[in-house]
Parts: sequence; C-alpha cells; structure tokens
Amino acid sequence: MNMDEQKLVSLIQAGDESAFAEIVRIYKDRIVNYLFQLTGDYQKAVDLSQETFLRVFFKADKYKPIAPFSSWIYAIASNLAKTDLKKRRRIALVPLDDVQYGLEVSTPSGDSRDSGLAGNLRQALDGLSPRYRVPVILKDVEGYSQEEIAVIIKRPIGTVKARISRGRAMLRKSLEKASHENPAFQPKEIYDGRY
Amino acid sequence: MDDTNLLRNLGAVGAPADFEGRVMTALARRKAAAAADRRTRTLRYSLAGAAAALFAGFLTFNVVLPGREDSSSSGASALAELRDSLPITETMSYRNEVRNSSLEPRTVYILEQVSDASYKHIKY
Repeated sequence: MNMDEQKLVSLIQAGDESAFAEIVRIYKDRIVNYLFQLTGDYQKAVDLSQETFLRVFFKADKYKPIAPFSSWIYAIASNLAKTDLKKRRRIALVPLDDVQYGLEVSTPSGDSRDSGLAGNLRQALDGLSPRYRVPVILKDVEGYSQEEIAVIIKRPIGTVKARISRGRAMLRKSLEKASHENPAFQPKEIYDGRY
Repeated sequence: MDDTNLLRNLGAVGAPADFEGRVMTALARRKAAAAADRRTRTLRYSLAGAAAALFAGFLTFNVVLPGREDSSSSGASALAELRDSLPITETMSYRNEVRNSSLEPRTVYILEQVSDASYKHIKY
C-alpha cells in the first residue's frame, strides 16, 4: 500500500476532513469512471461515487491495511453498484437475449473510440449480469490483476478467472449477434475476448 | 487495432468539476444528520429505560410482592377498629397467682357452727 495513502487513511480514521478531501481528489476520476462503466449512467455513477466516498469516511475504522486501500474503495463502489443494478433489474427485468437482439449496429470504423462501437459495447455490457460485468470491467477497464480482483469481490481466484472468461465470451457473443444484422461489422476482429 | 484498449477506451469519463465540493457538502450534511440521529437514539433509549424502570417498579410493588396489598387492607381495618374503641392495656403479675403450697405454713381451719339451726356434725 502507498505510504501516503496509509497515512491519509489513518488521518481519516481520526476524523480528519482534509485527508478525506485528498483521498477524494486522488480517486474521484477513477471511481466515477469505474461506476460509469458498471452502470452506464453518468449521473448515477456520480451519485454512487459520492456515496462511496462518504462510506469511506464513515466506515474508515473498518478498514484493515491487509489489502491495498484502492481494493477497499473499489469493493465499496462495486457493492453499491451491484445493489443499484439489482434494484433496477427488479424494476425492469429484461432477458439478456432480448438485449442482444436489440443492439444497434455501428459502422465498422475499426476505431475503438467509434461512438457506434462504443454504443454497442455499452449495450452489451448493460446486458451482462453484474456477477460477470464487475470482474470484466475491473480487469479490462481498470487493469487490476486477477488476484486483486479476487480481493475486491471477495471470491476465490478460480471463480474470478471463470467469471472474466465467461463475461468476455458473453460480450463477444453479443457483438457477434450485432454483426449478423450488419455483415460489414465484424466485432470479432475488434474484440475476441483474449487479452 | 489494439484489442486490449477496446474496453479501456470505452467512453472514459471523469468526475464533474464540483465533485469534491459536493462530496464535502454531503459529508457535512451527513455528519449533522448522524449527530441528530445519535441524539434521537440517546433520547429514545433514555425514555425506554425510564419506562422500563417504571414498569419494573410497578411489577415489584404489585406482582412480586402480592401480600403487601392484603396486609395493608387488614391494617386499615385494624386502624378503623382502633378509631371506634379505646384500647386499655393492663399489666398483670402472675407472681401471687401461682404459689407452691408446700412452701407456705400449714393452715388450720377451726370451724364452728354459728347458726341457730339444729346441730349437725360437720364431717370432713
């Protein structure tokens, strides 16, 4: 763990608001981006990020420095996002297949920043169960190792590997189905699930 | 294209400009709410404790000690009787009431006839 962060967390545990503000400054962009990738809703991501940081402050005494602080804050964010996704699923339960068929096909520019492809990926991610979405995003977006993801989601490393693999396969399948509607679009060339 | 960057570059976003200020404002609000909640909880527990103490006292004097009510009622009736009559208490010494006759001098009783009636022997 970063020594500075450890010191900051100790100060937060003592109720120091300036140390808390420093933690917010360090992590705000990463947490907002992570939650945006999980939820697909920017405003929701900002709200959940705010709640994540508030929990960091109020639950700081529960943090034990056996794992990196970043793992702990990502675990809080993941749990909040999963709870929110479950709530939303209860409101509108849509089968994954229906979501896949509903993908909008983009122009195959081959550029990952292409808004159409991003939209397809976004929809494919939204159709992915949180149990697969969280490890896939932690691995492929946030760049965490499988061991770190196992700490964050509190699951054995074998489970993490399986969920990442399965999640990527489901994403690839979603994009392939989208490509069938427009043969010019070949997502397999863009995303084959192997990193 | 670089496969590994596909998801990594998927619409990356950052926090809004006023995010830190919003978090600190929310923190202050949440702290105030937590303090108010603590006060409310303390008051609630105090009231609950007081109510429990009152209830325990009620149980103690009305259920756990059931004879108290009877004794108090009999005491009340005794007091009523005392109001109607004047109690007189005399001390009594039994020293002269019970005597050992063997320790006393023998008594000789001489009986003679004092009436004018016909003579009759008195037999003992």
